[in-house]
Amino acid sequence: MDHFPNYWGMPPQESFDRYNIFQDKTKNNAISDPTTNTKQPIVTGTSVIAFKYKDASFGSLARYREVERLYPVGEYTVLASSGDFSDFQYVKHTLDKIMTKEYYTNDGHILGTPHIYEYLSQVMYHRRSKLNPLWNAFVVGGYHNGEGYLGYVNLLGTTFQASTITTGIGMYMASPLLRKAVEGHEDTLTEAEAVDLVEQVMRVLYYRDSQSINRYQRAKITAQGVEISPLLSAPTDWSIGKDLRGYQ
Amino acid sequence: MTQRLELPKGGFNFENYQRNVALEQQGLKLPTPTKTGTTVVGIIFKDGVVLGADTRSTAGSIVQDKNCDKIRYMAPNVYCCGAGTAADTQFTNSLICSQLELHRLATGRETRVCTALTLVKQMLFKYQGHVSAALILGGYDVTGPRLLAVAPHGSTDKLPYLVMGSGSYAAIAILENRWKKDLERQEAIDLVQEAIEAGIFNDLGSGSDVNITIIEKGKVDNIKGYARPNRREPKCRSYKFARGSTATLNLSAVTVTEGDAMDTS
Amino acid sequence: MSFYPYTDNGGSALAIAGEDYCLLASDTRQSGEDYKIHAGYVPKAFKLTDSCVYAGVGFSADGVALVKRVRQSIEWYRHAHEKTMSTPALAQMIATVLYSKRFFPYYVGTILGGLDENGRGVVYSFDPVGSFEAELHKAVGSGAELIQPFLDNQVNLKFLPEVERTPLPLDVALQIAKDAFTSAAERDTKTGDYLEIFIIDREGVNVERFDLKRD
Repeated sequence: MDHFPNYWGMPPQESFDRYNIFQDKTKNNAISDPTTNTKQPIVTGTSVIAFKYKDASFGSLARYREVERLYPVGEYTVLASSGDFSDFQYVKHTLDKIMTKEYYTNDGHILGTPHIYEYLSQVMYHRRSKLNPLWNAFVVGGYHNGEGYLGYVNLLGTTFQASTITTGIGMYMASPLLRKAVEGHEDTLTEAEAVDLVEQVMRVLYYRDSQSINRYQRAKITAQGVEISPLLSAPTDWSIGKDLRGYQ
Repeated sequence: MTQRLELPKGGFNFENYQRNVALEQQGLKLPTPTKTGTTVVGIIFKDGVVLGADTRSTAGSIVQDKNCDKIRYMAPNVYCCGAGTAADTQFTNSLICSQLELHRLATGRETRVCTALTLVKQMLFKYQGHVSAALILGGYDVTGPRLLAVAPHGSTDKLPYLVMGSGSYAAIAILENRWKKDLERQEAIDLVQEAIEAGIFNDLGSGSDVNITIIEKGKVDNIKGYARPNRREPKCRSYKFARGSTATLNLSAVTVTEGDAMDTS
Repeated sequence: MSFYPYTDNGGSALAIAGEDYCLLASDTRQSGEDYKIHAGYVPKAFKLTDSCVYAGVGFSADGVALVKRVRQSIEWYRHAHEKTMSTPALAQMIATVLYSKRFFPYYVGTILGGLDENGRGVVYSFDPVGSFEAELHKAVGSGAELIQPFLDNQVNLKFLPEVERTPLPLDVALQIAKDAFTSAAERDTKTGDYLEIFIIDREGVNVERFDLKRD
């Protein structure tokens, strides 16, 4: 719509456009262009790590500046995201709506971690099938029926459950450390050991993931519910730097 | 009329490069070279260097060799771990190895690791990354224990612990977590073993055994199969074929008499 | 960067049909792009009925989605006809489901192992868009090129002209399946971690689990 009354009823003058009212056809325009789908992530976050220990499952991640990427859903579930941040916000909103609806239905049934994970997996697969993916890799961690629960789902709808899950560059660098420390010891790993393990892994990721910063959050999910830590930093040691000279 | 034969001047011949690019654009599949999708590591300890490698080489997702040797001799006091295209690492290694031998004969001195590195990096830089060899050089020379790495384009690193190959992420995670200055010999060996095993179990391009080489002053220990975490369990059945399993389509007999003269016409 | 809706999660599966049993085996490794192992125990074979087991190898998310759809149909069939779907009927139904996505296929190599209405072992194999065939033995997935010729030789006795043909007993089939997978795990990087063997006979479906190499 032309908002300049002087022009109303006049023939269009694209060649002489004093007030710049004609759309620039070379630029993307949300009104005139066809609907577009996410073809690449814009604001992204890096690795997420999670593993099970004695009486809980544990989530943690490197943060993107001051942005939090751990989000509690209901009482016993935490959603952690790496990938596009706006898509993560959309998913948080969607899950919140469902949890609210569940709450006021008040039928004595609450959505547990497996239900939230199943729902999210279906959403992710559905969106990939529409070729309009949510550009994330999610880890859903929680505590359900007396057991830790961990599930992974990504933008393709690929899912798996395991006692250690990582995303992003953490799949290459955190997994070896976590698998070594956790696999086969899920029932004996203590909370103190788990906290220490998170710190070790976060330090290694900070050393070697150029996208990361030394700031992370840790979520603990037990029978008592979800506990998300404040900002943490792993102590680092750069002292070998002073001994390094040259490159040959 | 006689024609003068132009002998090649050495080095690679790139005359088919453009043609191959054009053919690939038209959909031609070129043969894939064997990659040593690899985990190799090297670390410096108190009085020497430990090099470690897995023993898998792959072509795509198929294992080409379950027990290949990726730690190779360069000089009596210098060894080299290779990752990348198998042919490139092998040929780079043997070419530089010969040059070092000649250099020792000419100078009468022990090879320095730095000399080996310079020869390798100058060669790789000349080929602008087309020779895809990523090497870790470890040795003990007049300057003490030395550990250096070269990337395919010719850039080099000098660090107390180094990794290369597709399993390098897994291995570096272990080293960043556990490496300390002035490790004892056995501690260093254990750490290298753990780093290589992290590659073997977490990276599909790495597998089978852990080979280790320890280089100290005047002494080299080559341990093949230092750890064998992937022994194949015995098969349930025997697959020996009975005699005659292969069908005979036709028979022809030739009589050979002892002492027949060879036909040299 | 453009969105590509498929990936290959690797893994292998095989099935052997016997006189009065059927055997279906698959590894449980899920691998990702760039030499990654996602997890060691992610089953890709699922029991569908008391006389039928499915394995889907390739793009894991499609495999899981396909099983969900098929199980839903089995349930509806049961309510409509008051009986469990037979294995041959299931095979035909899976083919229809696969073809319904002819131009955006489920990227899975599917095999179905079970007993037919007469209690005889049957194996059906499918391509991603629904072409299917009844067979006596079949291997699919990243290690199929390694396993299939071995089965041709040991189960179908191909290339052994002098050998007398007798029905394959279950214990021998089990040994062949295990050897096929330990061998495939040696040479195929995407096959490994654990082996699950489903044995389907008149008693129902039994699962056995074995270790494979983890490198």
